[in-house]
Amino acid sequence: MPTAAVLILAGITVILIVALMVRPEITLARGGKIVAFLGLFILPVFTGFLGVENHFERSKQTSFCLSCHVMGDYGRSLHVDNPDYIPAAHFQNNRVPREEACYTCHTDYTLYTGGIKAKIRGLHHLYAQYIGTPHHPIKLYTPYNNRECLHCHLGSRKFEEGAVHTADPQTMADIKSNKLSCVSLGCHNTVHNIGELDKVKYWNPQQ
Amino acid sequence: MKETTTTRPKASAFLSRRFKTAGILIILGLVVESVSLLWNHPLSFVAFLGIGGLLLAAGTVLYLWSLASQASDTSG
Repeated sequence: MPTAAVLILAGITVILIVALMVRPEITLARGGKIVAFLGLFILPVFTGFLGVENHFERSKQTSFCLSCHVMGDYGRSLHVDNPDYIPAAHFQNNRVPREEACYTCHTDYTLYTGGIKAKIRGLHHLYAQYIGTPHHPIKLYTPYNNRECLHCHLGSRKFEEGAVHTADPQTMADIKSNKLSCVSLGCHNTVHNIGELDKVKYWNPQQ
Repeated sequence: MKETTTTRPKASAFLSRRFKTAGILIILGLVVESVSLLWNHPLSFVAFLGIGGLLLAAGTVLYLWSLASQASDTSG
């Protein structure tokens, strides 16, 4: 639901409530009671749910992730001029939508799955950002899951027929079952590498 | 009989006051939530849930409570 639609619904609800407050006598009639129930319960709750959904959608944006200081270097790593850097190659070649680059490869990140424990982690991130001290560098809570790669690459010719992937039948089975990580040493292990960011060249699309 | 006619307007005024309070809480909640939707930042989500959501919940609960107490007064 677009933000404008949620704002319009909130505006309609406010107008309805103000009308009820100015003319409370309309709630004496049966129709007025229904309008009051709509304005003071149904619409506010519905608007609230739409607002949560809207916030969830917007939190998938790259700009949202990079609004935390600790994420700045990870944002820079998307512009490294080196195709070996997996996130940079995906970002620069539109293999992931640029506006949702972080979320596309980290779909299991705190807010989106994992129940209450994950939400508490999200609150901890806020605490670390504004009150405490964030870890530097930050680390994933769990090892990177191949599912994040396979939700796009599974079934693609380059992946399914790749020489290394098909070197023996067990390799492909291990990749698909997440026993052998895609980002293992010797495979696609050049990821964000934020420790090396001062030594690399950057892609500038305006040149 | 006399007591009934004097207590009813009082109860009605009290209820109307509760509805107004509920309405103000809901309006404040919706305003906070709307403002938070215009700001793309992790803190905006906290403001949405922590302030807007709380005000909205307080308003709707107060309204439902008023309805429930009105129903019990009528039946009693």
